[in-house]
Amino acid sequence: MNLFRKLTGAIALLASIATLGAAETVKVGVLHSLSGTMAISETSLRDILLFTFDEINANGGVLGKKIEPVVVDGASDWPTFAEKAEQLLAQDKVAATFGCWTSVSRKFVLPVYEKYNGLLFYPVQYEGEEMSPNIFYTAEAVNQQAIPAVDYLLKEGYKKFYLIGTDYVYPQTTNLVLFEYLQSKGIPVENIGGGLRKDASGQVISAGKYTPFSHSDYQQIVAEIKAFAASGDACVINTVNGDSNVSLFKEIAASGLTADDCPIVSYSLSEDEFRSLPTKDLVGHLGCWTYFQSLDTPANKKFVKNFMTWLKTAPAGVQREGRVTCSPMVLSYNGVYLWKAAVEKAGTFDVDKVLAELRKGISFDGPGGTVTSQENHHLTKNVYIGETLEDGQFEILESFDNVYGEPFLKGTFK
Amino acid sequence: MKPVRSYLLALIATCASAFGQSESRLLLERLALAESDAYPAILEDLSNTGDSYISEFVDAWRVGEVYSHETESGDKLILVQVSEKFIRLTSGETMTLSEEEKESLEKNRPSRSLRRELKRITDTIDLSSPDADTRIAAALKLGLSQNLEYLKALEKRILLEESSRVVRGFEEAIAISLLANAGDASVLRDSIQRLGELKSLPSRDGIASILKGAEESGDAELARVCLTALGKIDGHQKVVENLGNLVRGFSLGSVLLIVAFGLAITFGLMGVINMAHGEFIAIGAYTCYQMNVVFERLFGAQSAAYQWFFWVSLPLCFLVAAAVGFALEKGLFRYLYKRPLESLLATWGLSMIFQQCFRLVFGAANVQVDTPQLLIGNFDLGGVSLSYTRVFIVAFAGIVILMTWILLSKTNLGLYIRAVMQNRQMASSLGIPVSRVNSITFAYGCGLAALAGAALSQIGNVGPSMGQAYIVDSFMVVVVGGVGNLLGAGISAMGIGTVDQFLQPMLGPVMGKILVFFAIILFLQWKPGGLFPARSRSMED
Repeated sequence: MNLFRKLTGAIALLASIATLGAAETVKVGVLHSLSGTMAISETSLRDILLFTFDEINANGGVLGKKIEPVVVDGASDWPTFAEKAEQLLAQDKVAATFGCWTSVSRKFVLPVYEKYNGLLFYPVQYEGEEMSPNIFYTAEAVNQQAIPAVDYLLKEGYKKFYLIGTDYVYPQTTNLVLFEYLQSKGIPVENIGGGLRKDASGQVISAGKYTPFSHSDYQQIVAEIKAFAASGDACVINTVNGDSNVSLFKEIAASGLTADDCPIVSYSLSEDEFRSLPTKDLVGHLGCWTYFQSLDTPANKKFVKNFMTWLKTAPAGVQREGRVTCSPMVLSYNGVYLWKAAVEKAGTFDVDKVLAELRKGISFDGPGGTVTSQENHHLTKNVYIGETLEDGQFEILESFDNVYGEPFLKGTFK
Repeated sequence: MKPVRSYLLALIATCASAFGQSESRLLLERLALAESDAYPAILEDLSNTGDSYISEFVDAWRVGEVYSHETESGDKLILVQVSEKFIRLTSGETMTLSEEEKESLEKNRPSRSLRRELKRITDTIDLSSPDADTRIAAALKLGLSQNLEYLKALEKRILLEESSRVVRGFEEAIAISLLANAGDASVLRDSIQRLGELKSLPSRDGIASILKGAEESGDAELARVCLTALGKIDGHQKVVENLGNLVRGFSLGSVLLIVAFGLAITFGLMGVINMAHGEFIAIGAYTCYQMNVVFERLFGAQSAAYQWFFWVSLPLCFLVAAAVGFALEKGLFRYLYKRPLESLLATWGLSMIFQQCFRLVFGAANVQVDTPQLLIGNFDLGGVSLSYTRVFIVAFAGIVILMTWILLSKTNLGLYIRAVMQNRQMASSLGIPVSRVNSITFAYGCGLAALAGAALSQIGNVGPSMGQAYIVDSFMVVVVGGVGNLLGAGISAMGIGTVDQFLQPMLGPVMGKILVFFAIILFLQWKPGGLFPARSRSMED
């Protein structure tokens, strides 16, 4: 009898925990391309988000509720992104979404988030010139990546800059900003390589050399860079995206241009991209991000170790071998923790109240150092310049502390 | 204690020199272990030694082949990795290390600023290198630094030079250095004039800024000299550019040609619309990758045998893809002859199946195929540089054409192939095994596509969807050349390549490519059958 009572008691307890557990979750959206051409980059962000949710859930969740991720696939197709965003907001009613990689996918989901008054955290370096009330940009703004890198090169004594990128909104806008910035630093127009395009009134509308996505023939451009660099003190600013970098760097290496003669600073290549690049040809060239896996801080070491441990027990479909961490991953991670802190401060998941808390300024000690949310929906964070090593990691050369994220830069350098 | 130590050091130094080593190695070890504030003194001593070994060591240091090793007694040594062995820097002896010791080795690398300092030293040392090209390159770098001290070194060294080519290089370097260090107006004018005569591109920026200064200060004489020199340099540069466009056009044409040649056979001769052609290219590239992995596992990446992986994989690529092609012809394609719509859909589906298979087997990320030592580097052709990989592709395209020409026109099989392609029924009634000839021809075309993939692995990326990037170009080449005509494919590939390279500098890669497509549309309006409209079975059906 006694045993029976104990048993029913235990069952009742378990049942109550189970119902409690079921009720006490909060849905959060994960909106990345898990198939198609962008999958190779974006899958890593899905993985880090799942890791972060597990980490938070293991420590008690958010406001006592466990995070329940709703993972959808944007399929590298921009209208699909908009569709899936609508599904997350209207059907699943997620409290927040973490997602998007390319600027064009963000531009597609932006009206959806504004229509439903949702909340999106965007983690990948971008061109700025945008500030939606419903998007929080944990990403690097142009002045947190492109400009510090140029500052570093100017300090190193480089006098000629060749701009090259893939032909879409991020490289075009970034290079226009850099074009203005370099001129404001006293670099004459003839020392900015890659060519200019002007509209009828003589206004420069495009600076630098552009190639289509998946371009594979870089002979002509490398010959041009070689002639440009013949007089020394030249460097290349590279915003080429994706596969094309393989052809570009192979051609550069074969042409005999070394990182000592003419360093290339790449804005779209992080540790994660190096997994499918000829790293040997990239040694000595530069990168600029707000996080590097090689950062020698206890916080980062712990973060990397925890992620690697998590990978061993990761759900099916997550690649376990040869993984690295990189800036977009850490900015996704930071985004989740900032959201958690804002929710806890506001005491509710209500989007307006959470955003109000974020605007007031919340700090989080992330793997790349402390980040603080700003009123303009960006983050103050540290910026690092690194040199590529043969193992696909970066050696940190220089760091800039607490750089304020500024999205609107065009026309501000005179 | 101190005298004893210096005595010991001296002893080591003498021992080392007895073994043919010099003090530079000791200095380098000190440098590698020193803190940054001790650098200037060591660097000073190092530059006085002038040992050519320094360049060698700095190169190894830069690419991460230098390690610091702590011995049991607590001494720190610097080891240099040469293939699989670890050589002690100071003595040159090979160290035998246990596995644990290998684990505990710490990679030692120079900071960026130290490397720049070392570069100066190695450049000065390279001035007396036995290799003429190294001497010229070093002279140019020192000249461009426009440092008065180096100018003196250059002026001293030029007197020792005999070959006119090297003398010209040194003259250029001296003249560039004089742009900033002339002091005297007539010396400046002379050196600008000389640079114009030498058609020196590296000096262009320097002269342009002098011209600006001269125009502002109203020095008409100097401005005139500058303008003439710039005119000469720019004129020469124009010639080099055009020559370069031609060479690069040829090289791009070769890439297009090897990519399209397999299709010229399967689509051109046999009339099979094969949308999976790109995936046969990928089969070749992945075979290369697989061989690379196997060789690395068998022999290690440092061994001489490893360098052979690429050359061994070439015939293997051909065989693997030909086997796959043969099987597919038997199992799929032979049901699709004369049914263009079905074959379009079926082969498109086939290409997706292939891509997914690559993803499952090799992963979604791109894989890297190493470049064999033989193909690393480039050579200069009158100011136009061409890498060895590109030269290899041009030569390879030539070999593939030759091979195909011999097969088609000099062998019995070729005779059969031509007969079947021209009239299947007649060939059959004359006793030619039509279905076997079809299979072999298709397999040959697929094998050629795989060879293209092997070549492409040296210049581009290898990934599951790499074939997609080439399928449009391939069809373009075949259609423009005239379906069924191999010579036409060759000429059209070279033509498209050259036009593309000449348009690119003017319009940029994006507009250039669009214009090439547009020109092809117009061309096909004018000549719907392509360059050489052929009368083959596929045209008559």
